[in-house]
Amino acid sequence: MTEAAVSSLVAAPRSFKRATRRTKRVTTALLCLFLAYTFFPLFYLLVASTKNNFDLFSTFGLWFGHDFSLFANLRDLFAHSNGIFGRWLFNTFLYSLSAGVGAALFATAAGYAFAKFSFVGREVLFGAILVAVMIPQTALVVPTFLLLAREGLTDSPLGVILPSMISPLGVYLMRVYIEQGVEDALLDAGRMDGAGEWRIFRSIVFPLVTPGFVTVLLLAFVATWNNYFLPLIVLSSPDYFPLTVGLASWYRLASMGGGGGQAMFSLVLVGALVSIVPVIILFLFLQRFWQGGLALGAVK
Amino acid sequence: MNDKVGFQGDGFNRRDVLKTAGASLAAAALPSMPAFAQSSVQLTLWSWLPNFRDQVDLFEAAHPSIKVNLVNAGQGGDEYTKLRAALKAGSGLPDVCHLEFQLVRSFEQLKALADIGPSANAHKDEFAAWAWSQVSDGDKVYAMPWDSGPTAVLYRNDVFDKYNLTVPKTWAEFADQAIKLHEAAPDVFLTDATFSDGGWTTSLLWQAGWRPFEVNGAEIRIQVNGDVAKKFAAYWQKLIDAKAIDAKPGFVTEWYTSLDEGRYATWITAGWGPVFLTSFAKKSSGKWRAAPLPQWDATKVASANWGGSTLAALAASQHPKEAAELAVWLTIDPKATELYTTKQFLFPTRKAILESSEFADKPFEFYGGQAVNKVFVESAKAVDPSFQWSPFQDYVNQTMGDKLGAAAAGNGTLAAAFDSLQDTLVQYAQDQGFTVKT
Amino acid sequence: MIEASAAVNGNYNGGADASPDRTMAASPKPPLRKRRRFRVSIVPYLFLAPFLLVFAAFLVAPLVYALYTSVFRDMLVGGRRFVGFANYLRVAVDSDFWGGVSNLLFFGATQVPIMLSLALTLAIVLDRGALHARGLFRLGFFIPYAVPSVVAALVWGYIYGPAFGPFSQLARGLGLPPPDFLSDRTMLFSLANIVTWEFTGYNMVIYYAALKAIPSDLREAAAIDGAGAWQYALFVQLPMLWPAILLTIIFSINGTLQLFNEPYLMRSIAPAVINTHYTPNIYAYFLSAANQQYNYAAAVSFVLGLLIAVIAGAFTWATRRGGGASR
Repeated sequence: MTEAAVSSLVAAPRSFKRATRRTKRVTTALLCLFLAYTFFPLFYLLVASTKNNFDLFSTFGLWFGHDFSLFANLRDLFAHSNGIFGRWLFNTFLYSLSAGVGAALFATAAGYAFAKFSFVGREVLFGAILVAVMIPQTALVVPTFLLLAREGLTDSPLGVILPSMISPLGVYLMRVYIEQGVEDALLDAGRMDGAGEWRIFRSIVFPLVTPGFVTVLLLAFVATWNNYFLPLIVLSSPDYFPLTVGLASWYRLASMGGGGGQAMFSLVLVGALVSIVPVIILFLFLQRFWQGGLALGAVK
Repeated sequence: MNDKVGFQGDGFNRRDVLKTAGASLAAAALPSMPAFAQSSVQLTLWSWLPNFRDQVDLFEAAHPSIKVNLVNAGQGGDEYTKLRAALKAGSGLPDVCHLEFQLVRSFEQLKALADIGPSANAHKDEFAAWAWSQVSDGDKVYAMPWDSGPTAVLYRNDVFDKYNLTVPKTWAEFADQAIKLHEAAPDVFLTDATFSDGGWTTSLLWQAGWRPFEVNGAEIRIQVNGDVAKKFAAYWQKLIDAKAIDAKPGFVTEWYTSLDEGRYATWITAGWGPVFLTSFAKKSSGKWRAAPLPQWDATKVASANWGGSTLAALAASQHPKEAAELAVWLTIDPKATELYTTKQFLFPTRKAILESSEFADKPFEFYGGQAVNKVFVESAKAVDPSFQWSPFQDYVNQTMGDKLGAAAAGNGTLAAAFDSLQDTLVQYAQDQGFTVKT
Repeated sequence: MIEASAAVNGNYNGGADASPDRTMAASPKPPLRKRRRFRVSIVPYLFLAPFLLVFAAFLVAPLVYALYTSVFRDMLVGGRRFVGFANYLRVAVDSDFWGGVSNLLFFGATQVPIMLSLALTLAIVLDRGALHARGLFRLGFFIPYAVPSVVAALVWGYIYGPAFGPFSQLARGLGLPPPDFLSDRTMLFSLANIVTWEFTGYNMVIYYAALKAIPSDLREAAAIDGAGAWQYALFVQLPMLWPAILLTIIFSINGTLQLFNEPYLMRSIAPAVINTHYTPNIYAYFLSAANQQYNYAAAVSFVLGLLIAVIAGAFTWATRRGGGASR
């Protein structure tokens, strides 16, 4: 293939350039197509959020209705049930941030242990932690609830935050990150200077792995933000609900028959829109951490 | 050893601070509990009824020493799951909870409900007989009837006029009209038979004389595929096969739009239906009317109940007297119960309201000025009180929905589904330790 | 193996990190050695402790409790009874359970290859092209990951709506019969679409990052050898991406077999299709929530977990590479 191909490539620069331009157009078109696919449902969500309850059912789904009710819907959203939606928003931030920070801290510490120390049962333990990712969530949620009940932690934010601080993937990522980003020489230098292990971790290791730390934080943050099943089972007071459970409860309220049901779809949709905005903003500002962190898992 | 101490010192503090910060942040953000006197009793009430706080405030006003914490712990199945989990764990239960009629027997089985007979029996005659029979066992009363859903039909007057349909008085007439409509307009159906909703199907079977369950302590008689079921299955199977009716799920976007647009000419529904319909069907306002449920036998008017709830005091409550008082008061107080019909538009179980002309004769513009409540009040009078629920009714509803829904969608026949249902329920009851008779 | 640090933070150490700890063997001072050995024995456990504590309390403990629960039977009449393996034997012959499994195996066999191929193609295309808005594309594709499945299901549910969804409205406008996305035959594909929408971007980002870790001189070398763009992709990039691909396949197997949120939420609009045993996790959920058969639900969950482990393990073993693909 080699020489003939090379000479043909070199000898026909114009057609080559045309080919690459065409290829570029094709690839750009492909990418744009997929981008359209990606934004299609989000566009629907945006359009639907501008409609009131009646227009929702009677006008074409992908274009606006007769009234522009976005701000009215937003007002209703935050006013409904004494502002419970605002509470749900706050709860979600609280749970996600706490779980995120906790997960990242724990994962970093654990990853450091796996990466830079050798101890009995290291690989077995690591393997066990990774296997934990495979465990079906449904198997765990009800027993978790029963155990939490025994400790009096049901219907409490801790019942949601604590289990969400477990990030086996985070431990894996931090281990890889630390193995590759922190030189043993640095650690030994620290030790020979007489620094304590904690000091070494805090002052030498931690600053070097901040990108990884932020990645794990983000992963756990998003996972907690989007979590539905755990808070559904553990929490019973709406005051403690995160957005997913709250929105789903409104959706069920709108759907169920029997005395007391209501049709409040427009609220549900506007709520859904509001609920995805913070994480999208987060993505926008913290892009590089995503790309970097996921790289580790991919390559190692 | 300073490194070890240092680590423990710092690490412990940091983690601890994080946890306490998290918990205290959450606690601080919660509305602060009002300080109250030592003698005041604090009750927790789980209910999903919207705007219930108003009636609860009335209760507190009438009972200064009782404070009620109203919590919406989920609607229907969600709340029941939490109740059962809390029962298993032995903690986290409310004092009073919102329980649909069909679940009272099931929670009685779990010994979760308190007997409020002493406070409740005085009011027995204030309620419709069938409602009382479902919450009581002789002198023992396990819940207070609250709202109900006697069944009847809402239909589109304009669609009926357009296709020259008559309001069917019997099921035979109903079938004829369905086929006639289908021939005239393949895209319009006389009704949507929501077989994937166990509650809906049960109410129609109840009307037809279905008595599937009879419980006697640890013994249960189960017969779901008897003659009544066979007749019912044959009737609807004919309509399904002829595609004269639709069999899609209810209470979803498609269904709401179909009703509004006149794709379904009737809605076989319950007492809470009329107001519910007005909340989403703006376009068809003024075109709906109410009519009694078609009868199997024109000479023997029978009806059934679909939905409706009770308030039950839980056996685990630390304040049984106050809990009983809460459940009873909220369902018998004249002002509160009147508010249920005017504010939340619940269909009542109290005779005083059912028999009042203010309730029954109220005209509804949405229904062309017809006093639709009256139709449902009449239906309520014909609800047969001999129907019994099973002690595991949500399981029954789910399984019915699964099997009958699949059959109605074309996977097998309704008759076969009933047979399969019988086998499954018998197996389940045996697994749960019951002695099963068929 | 390619070092990841180059891709991540730019300080490529040339493999120095991979070398073993030389200083330990070379330490001259006895007291220091003794201290280090002591440190080595306790310290890692201290760093592990916070994670292990939460891990033990909220993962291991419930697991053990679920295992314990699965060998009993709690009855409405008669209370708790020890039944040994009876629950597990019942799962083995439970047609509802295996029906759910077969739904997901079919689902996975079609959806996962399509999604990962799409993600791979997009990543390769993004990596090669000198596009202006590359960052924009990358971010855009990743956005669905930010959307909770509750929201995704709501939105796609409407789009799928048979009588009044946008596609049906268009079809009717053209005089064609409306497409039924929610029928028995099409439900799995409709669900596959939702899951593909949610996760293609995520997988693409993983592949893209791995692609970026391939040294660019390889591409030049290949070009000199006369390899065209697609040959380079197929014979050079793909093999080097294998670890990433394997990772995403394992995650996808795991995610597919545990499918719950999307079909559960679809149940509200198609309860006749999504019954209470449509997927194993839905089955386990209803067993606990509606049927009060907690013990059986625990057994179902364990069998599911075992199944996932077996399939993922078998896949890894079957595709294991002899000497690694790196240069």
